[in-house]
Amino acid sequence: MKRPAVPTPAAEWNERSVDLARLLGRAGLGDRAAFATLYERTGPHLFAVVLRINRDRAQAEDILQEVYVNVWRAAKGFDAAQSQPLTWLTSIARNRAIDSLRRNQTRPQIQGSGAFDGAADGEDDSVYDTVADSAPGPLDLLSQASDARELASCMEHLSAQQRQSLALAFYQGLSHAEVAEQMRQPLGSVKSWVRRALLSLKDCLQRAVQRDQSAVRST
Amino acid sequence: MDYGRTDLADRLAASYAAGTLRGPARRRFEVLLPAHPALRAATREWQERLMPLTAALPSEAPPARVWQRIEARLDGTVATAPVPRVPLGSRLAFWRGLAGFASIAALSLAVLLASPASVQPPILVVLSSTAPGAGAVAPASFVASISGDGRALVTRPLIQVGVQPDKALELWAIPRGGAAPRSLGVISSSGATVVLRGQVLEGAEALAVSLEPPGGSPTGAPTGPVLYAGKLTL
Repeated sequence: MKRPAVPTPAAEWNERSVDLARLLGRAGLGDRAAFATLYERTGPHLFAVVLRINRDRAQAEDILQEVYVNVWRAAKGFDAAQSQPLTWLTSIARNRAIDSLRRNQTRPQIQGSGAFDGAADGEDDSVYDTVADSAPGPLDLLSQASDARELASCMEHLSAQQRQSLALAFYQGLSHAEVAEQMRQPLGSVKSWVRRALLSLKDCLQRAVQRDQSAVRST
Repeated sequence: MDYGRTDLADRLAASYAAGTLRGPARRRFEVLLPAHPALRAATREWQERLMPLTAALPSEAPPARVWQRIEARLDGTVATAPVPRVPLGSRLAFWRGLAGFASIAALSLAVLLASPASVQPPILVVLSSTAPGAGAVAPASFVASISGDGRALVTRPLIQVGVQPDKALELWAIPRGGAAPRSLGVISSSGATVVLRGQVLEGAEALAVSLEPPGGSPTGAPTGPVLYAGKLTL
């Protein structure tokens, strides 16, 4: 397929990361003003990431606080050559948020067989309790993330089930079993959809990178 | 399991980054990370691949109090979650509760460090680099926090340590009187490690960290150089 070397999501992500790497570097040297700026620029993103996974706002605030206290302490060791700042920060926030789920089990969950018939009458509406109605669903997010980017064409290669299961797992922090309950599909199928979605994305993004590289070489 | 196998490493790292690796498997993965370069590399790759997906999330401005609390924690003026001064038995329960969750332990430790005034029971041992500027590892130091009853220990690097991909860090208890060091296991160079051993401190006068092959010393005694050490002051 002939196409111009459009920026990959990674490239855009990286661009945004240049500034952040500088701020993080200065924070690592104890520069509180730089750290404050880093928080201003990344806090709203990380808060959104955390809230998607742990919808309890008070807990999400605590998690965000913990994330930044740890970022401050770890900033000195951050190696921009190893990792993009935004990737690093987002990973820390996601891990903390996922950890908070396994720690407190307060998450409203669809449990037992009742979940299946409860879906329509609010029993697992509680899952979305604290998400504003206007908030985009996980599938919307996937398509927005892929908007006009390489990821878009990669997403197209996924089946609807693969896309939905990946979106639920990734954005909402649902486990395989929880995704299975949400989708009312067998656990085994869900596992294989998520797995194949990830592999397919990996292959597709790798091809995109190779295309970009050969486009750069040919200019 | 052979975590050096690339396809297995890739599979685990993908589940970890996607968030579907859960429960004990997730904790085990986090414990294995420091000692398995293939896992680390695969995890980094998957994080770089997947994290940009979060760019689609509409930003949510956190309330101002979050930043105020962060600042207070950094200043060390406010003990957000002071360590409760409670009898030994409850303290043990407190530590046992933490044991399953390395990250929570790490956070508690961060709180401890941020609020020295509230530190009573857990014993903090600072491990300093014994060879600043050593080639294999950036000069850095660890802190080990030991529960009052001596059964649980949490290590955490104070700054990130860059261990060569084919090496691991192993923690040792050094007994008084020159007896052989006792291994406390491989520890993370990048995050918290929880060590649960009966009486880690018994007869020990110092803690040390040595550089070992992945998975730890094959002989049961330190084989590599001691990079960090700290004395116990009880």
